[in-house]
Amino acid sequence: MSSVELKHICKIYPNNDKKKKHNLKVTDEGVLAVDDFNLEIKDKEFIVLVGPSGCGKSTTLRMVAGLEEISKGELYIDNRLVNDVEPKDRDIAMVFQSYALYPHMTVRQNMEFPLKLRKMPKDEIDRKVNEAAEILDITQYLDRKPKALSGGQRQRVAIGRAIVREPKVLLMDEPLSNLDAKLRNQMRAEIIKLRQRIDTTFIYVTHDQTEAMTLGDRIVIMKDGVVQQIGTPQEVYEHPINIFVAGFIGVPIMNFFDGELIKDGVRYYVEVEGARIELSPEKEAKMAARGVQAQKVTVGVRPEHIELAEVPGKMIPAKIDVSEMMGSQINLHINVNGKEGIIIVDTMSNAGRTFQMGEKINFTFAPEVIHVFDADGRNLEY
Amino acid sequence: MKEKSTMSQKMGTTFLSFLCIFWVMPVFVVLWNSFKNKNSINLMPFELPNAETFVGAENYLAAIDKYGLLQSVGWTVFITVGSVAAILLFCSMCGWFITRVKTWWTKLIYVLCLFSMVVPFQMVMYTLSLVANMLHLTNPWGIIIVYLGFGAGLAIFMFTGFVRSIPIEIEEAAMIDGCTPLQTFFKIVVPIMKPTYISVGILQTMWIWNDFLLPYLVLDLNKYKTISIVIQYMKGSYGSVDMGAIMAALILALIPVVIFYLSCQKYIIKGVAAGAVKG
Repeated sequence: MSSVELKHICKIYPNNDKKKKHNLKVTDEGVLAVDDFNLEIKDKEFIVLVGPSGCGKSTTLRMVAGLEEISKGELYIDNRLVNDVEPKDRDIAMVFQSYALYPHMTVRQNMEFPLKLRKMPKDEIDRKVNEAAEILDITQYLDRKPKALSGGQRQRVAIGRAIVREPKVLLMDEPLSNLDAKLRNQMRAEIIKLRQRIDTTFIYVTHDQTEAMTLGDRIVIMKDGVVQQIGTPQEVYEHPINIFVAGFIGVPIMNFFDGELIKDGVRYYVEVEGARIELSPEKEAKMAARGVQAQKVTVGVRPEHIELAEVPGKMIPAKIDVSEMMGSQINLHINVNGKEGIIIVDTMSNAGRTFQMGEKINFTFAPEVIHVFDADGRNLEY
Repeated sequence: MKEKSTMSQKMGTTFLSFLCIFWVMPVFVVLWNSFKNKNSINLMPFELPNAETFVGAENYLAAIDKYGLLQSVGWTVFITVGSVAAILLFCSMCGWFITRVKTWWTKLIYVLCLFSMVVPFQMVMYTLSLVANMLHLTNPWGIIIVYLGFGAGLAIFMFTGFVRSIPIEIEEAAMIDGCTPLQTFFKIVVPIMKPTYISVGILQTMWIWNDFLLPYLVLDLNKYKTISIVIQYMKGSYGSVDMGAIMAALILALIPVVIFYLSCQKYIIKGVAAGAVKG
């Protein structure tokens, strides 16, 4: 068992620079870098903390590692309160963005180091190092120094050093950010495979939503030190709790249009640029239960959910700004009455059709894919 | 164009060769004079030894037997090794600490260290010798502490510069891997700082080995003399100067430090450049 529980965790830094501009909450005690973080991580779960830079995700991870003091709240690893426990006694391992390999040691010595410190017998150390090297396919580099390795190989060694110890929790702080795009995709797949081979709890920090979506069992989306939403990749994609999550998750990002929510008896409609689209019964039921009234709203629709169509009364006119041929799809950057948006068009179903810059098109979307946000950015369904 | 550059290269080489000879000339003058008799050293210092003036190792034996050079070599080695070891150990620890722990007083220590590099020795030598007397630091063990104080400025400056270039994640990784702060320092930071250790070691060794003024002011000269003090004493009190013994002693004093420098010089540049650019 290796569960992790974060209860009302806060990180407060002294507010030395009062003029410094940031969006973090400032109290009398200081700047709240992480504000009331609550999360229960189950045994062997893969949790991804994701958010833009400065959102507090790395700080949270460093608090779990013991590299940062916890200002308020309680942290439990395996039901043991570890707030004041040294990093070395928490039975965790960490992989850093910059690899943090010991430059004066060979790959083998790097991987042996944590085991030697634990005074493990030599033959057991050898067995574990060889096993980890085999899993990560770095056996041939064991006698090299880190400087003689490429970025991808170094990251494998860093992962190897972390897994030889068989830690209760494996922490990863943007481990793929220093790699080029191709290697990053490759390593991402390796981490998925690795996860199947080693039974441990993962906490992974990234700013890349693709990594978050592909790796995590659950994703924690953070902004300005505050948790915005916790859920499975599908949950956060399909049911974003606010406009920030909606915009952060998904590539290309969600389109947002100014609109009006109209309540007609028990029915709800949104009116966007003259098009009137009724909401799905499911959404209507949720809004009715919350007593949502007619108001000005922001309507969010993902680019992949937009259809080019001529449906009288339900279509929105737009002008094509840029057309990007991606192979299997075309990304159309559009302009809707001065507001920019993006539409993904499937090349198969639009074979032979070309899209010119400045061309006028009409589009619509299905009621079930619409997300309606109020003036504060909150999803009106939740 | 090519020819022109070759020509200027040749001229440059010739000029620099002359400059080199000019530069090392005094050393050679001392070397050959150390094999000549006293009179010829005084009368014809730039002449090479010949059958008449050559005295073999006589001057060397005189320096060693008459003036107790061996004993002073022993004290010089003791003071140099002790001081350099103390400077390397304590200043590297201090440099690491004040870089990693940021408080007002660590910043103050750093500023004081920089300040100590700016103040010339001559300004503090009088008070220093008084304080050294008061604290009974007038022996070779005590002077190590004085050297530690004087060497700390440059050493801490160089160590802090290098520690700043070490990514803190390496030390954090060591902490997570199970190191105590002392283990992190000795097992991780020290090996990474090796180039800086070598360059600080070389600079301090050459300064302490050759230093005259500080041991002259601080040491109890009746009991302890370093090489440079012995050489000064060879001049005698009443104008009698044993030039032969002085030349021999100078050569003997030079040999260890020259060998040390030649074997370590490649690390100096490495150590000074390390930390300047992120590797």
